[in-house]
Amino acid sequence: MLADGLFYIFAVLAVLGAGGLVVFRHPMNGAMSFVVTLISLAGLYALLSAKLIFALQLIVYAGAIMSLIVFIIMFLNIQTEDLPKEETKVVYILGSLVAVLPIGMLLFKIVRSLPDKTLAIMGGNFGGVKEVGLLLFKDWLVPFEIVSILLLVSLIGAVVLAGKRGTIK
Amino acid sequence: MIHNFLFLSVILFCLGIVGVIARRNVFTVFMSIELMLNAANLAFVAFSRIHESMDGHVLAMMVMAVAAAEAALALAVVILLHKHKGKLDTNVFSLLKG
Repeated sequence: MLADGLFYIFAVLAVLGAGGLVVFRHPMNGAMSFVVTLISLAGLYALLSAKLIFALQLIVYAGAIMSLIVFIIMFLNIQTEDLPKEETKVVYILGSLVAVLPIGMLLFKIVRSLPDKTLAIMGGNFGGVKEVGLLLFKDWLVPFEIVSILLLVSLIGAVVLAGKRGTIK
Repeated sequence: MIHNFLFLSVILFCLGIVGVIARRNVFTVFMSIELMLNAANLAFVAFSRIHESMDGHVLAMMVMAVAAAEAALALAVVILLHKHKGKLDTNVFSLLKG
């Protein structure tokens, strides 16, 4: 099956990228491996026949948000000696894996109790722009407006935080 | 087959928690939070594929909008703290400790 093979390729790439994000010392390396995770997640959305989310994941997440993060990392011009010294990083990672393992096993158990489905491509333009847009502006209108207020608040907050001229130092 | 997507979502979420707990670099912690948001998005889209309704897609779009707002504000705060302290260690940023 082509879809199964594609799923395993994207899944391995996503997990490797996330592991690299956790392990790499310099945040730029972590950001680059996180981009790999985001792009393979976009491929997984395409496998789930979510066309609009696939495009939005590539444009908004891998494009806009990650370029903002990479821009800030480059803007701060971080040298290797500026990074926090994490001598006990391996111990912390192993310890937090032990702490997280019960949660993961519980969630695995919950997922196994759900009904399974085969991965056929959905017909009827499932996940297209028109269908999702109709749903967004009919059933989800109030949450949509609340999200617009949230974006306005974050815009004002960013202006207030960045607009303090001459008060630093 | 859809189960595998949910398993992958669980694995990515747990890796995000590990990144938040174990690392002290501000950017790595921030991107681990983004990783957890992405794992939740994958679960939303997989569930909407199971139930063959598109509500999960709308919720995933809203999570993306929240992540964008969070990225803008969190990066502004990180720049301000870096100007004040000149460091990227989360242990240094304990200004609000009583």
